[in-house]
Amino acid sequence: MFRFAPYIWKTLWRHRTRSLLTVSGASVAIFVLCFIGSIQEGLNRMVQGEDAQRRLIVFQENRFCPTSSRLPEDYSRQIAQVSGVTDVLPIQVWTNNCRASLDVVVVHGVPAAKLPESRELRLIEGQWPAFVSRTDAAVVGRQFALRRRVRLGDQLTFGSMSVHVAGIFESDSSAEEDLIYCHLLFLQLAESQTAAGLVTQLEVALDPSAEPDRVAKQIDEKLRSGLVPTTTRPKGAFQTATISDLVDLIGYAYWLGLACVGLVLSLVATTTVMSVQDRVQEHAVLQTLGVRPGRVMRLILAESTLLCFWGGALGVGLAWTILTWGNFSVGAEGVAITLRPSSAMIASGLGISVILGSLAGIIPAYQATRTNLVSSLRQS
Amino acid sequence: MPLVEIRNLTKRFRKGDEIITPVLDLDLDIEKGDLLALMGKSGTGKSTLLNLIAGIDQPDAGSIAVAGTTITGLSRGKLADWRAAHLGYIFQTHNLVPVLTAYENIELPLLLLPMSNSDRRKRVNFALEVVGLSDRAQHYPRQLSGGQEQRVGIARAIVTHPTLVVADEPTGNLDEETSRQIQTLLQELNRQLGITLIIVTHDVDVASIAKRQLRLEHGRAIGPSQSPSAAFSGL
Repeated sequence: MFRFAPYIWKTLWRHRTRSLLTVSGASVAIFVLCFIGSIQEGLNRMVQGEDAQRRLIVFQENRFCPTSSRLPEDYSRQIAQVSGVTDVLPIQVWTNNCRASLDVVVVHGVPAAKLPESRELRLIEGQWPAFVSRTDAAVVGRQFALRRRVRLGDQLTFGSMSVHVAGIFESDSSAEEDLIYCHLLFLQLAESQTAAGLVTQLEVALDPSAEPDRVAKQIDEKLRSGLVPTTTRPKGAFQTATISDLVDLIGYAYWLGLACVGLVLSLVATTTVMSVQDRVQEHAVLQTLGVRPGRVMRLILAESTLLCFWGGALGVGLAWTILTWGNFSVGAEGVAITLRPSSAMIASGLGISVILGSLAGIIPAYQATRTNLVSSLRQS
Repeated sequence: MPLVEIRNLTKRFRKGDEIITPVLDLDLDIEKGDLLALMGKSGTGKSTLLNLIAGIDQPDAGSIAVAGTTITGLSRGKLADWRAAHLGYIFQTHNLVPVLTAYENIELPLLLLPMSNSDRRKRVNFALEVVGLSDRAQHYPRQLSGGQEQRVGIARAIVTHPTLVVADEPTGNLDEETSRQIQTLLQELNRQLGITLIIVTHDVDVASIAKRQLRLEHGRAIGPSQSPSAAFSGL
């Protein structure tokens, strides 16, 4: 087949405008597909990680938006007594937008001294003592810092509060890298003088042997007699429920992705059909010279696959570049999904391109091999 | 033993409500090194017979054996293999691949055969030399004259050293002078390289280079005639 590579290349180059348009059309569709795929991947990363299964979130019952959940900070002491619980982290959440947004800002107020040990965050700029010692200090996730061009020592202002950037961190969890952490009391007081002692949620770390659902049930039962009833769920389930509208939207986007696949298929198939119809005589000549019908079929499949692959590679490259430099995140209710390029995205984008290119060429390739040679040779 | 043995060959096809029989119960032997001109009026089955011998059409009855291989009844794939190894086809309209240079067009059939790059190069250069187009090797078909295109077509047909070369009206699209040059070339190929040639032609001059002429009429062979003028007397 490689001996025929110049023929394949020159055939595609002969109608370069048509080839170029097909490649660009395929690239746009594959780009959209990759972009949608990265949202789905971000969601999966967030709700399927070990943290998502082994940590519990205690929230005020029947509340979803972080601005409406108010739990006594003291609940953490009571929850710590439940069997299977190893640690409880009270968190005050502030967000600039409870609705679905492409640039959500989420600030978590936590006990400063507990942060380094309760989260696997690695400071790439700044020092933990600088964060712990200064009450208006904040550490900022790398993703957020890149998106907003935040630097160490900057003063960030959100709503009525202003924080000093004492560090920039990275994390294996992409969702973490979109957060800002500051002192709990600072955030409580920044929101309201009466908010001291109240938190949005409590994050519960479990013993490895503890069953998350059982512990969650025990926590809710224990606090039922308290001031505020609670709903406790594994972190992943909590996040999925919190951004359920967004999950639905992502579900719809999946269909948009399928439409892109169909678009690529029909685009490349149309181009290949046109190309084959233009060359009925040429294919008959090749067969008269001794090219087997199967080889003619493979030549046509190679053409359609190459067109689609180039389009796919361009689309994947575009998606990679935009996702890398854009540092996008989409979020709602204080939960953000970060959009990151991944090797899975590259592999699936290129793989889908190759499969679609092959599929698009099958029918025209088959037709080219079934034509009557004598009548095809007479065509001009 | 003849190189080509045709026995009881019949080909029919339907044209509207009419059944046409361009070849009917034909027997024909062609010897190695022969140069046979197939002649006859339009629609007498010359090209049909040529296509049947070339294995690009299938008969309704009878058999064709070339160098001991019965090609009738072979699958499309096996026929393609057979053509690649044993047949050279010269088309009336050259039918060169427009995106390939003269060199690449001539090389094309060799890509189907097991052969080293250097052997392939030698064969292509030799074929270019034979047809007198060594200086046009890197030209594309659109950069060649009609006669030069046909020369490339001839080089492509002989480059594999085929058992048999068939030509369908090889000068049909050429002017008189170019036609004469092609006739001379075909005659030299037959005489000097011993290539067995079957030519379908209307042209008396082209037929004159043949060692043998065969006139077809109502699907049957009339002849061989003694001379080209005798063969054309009934046209």
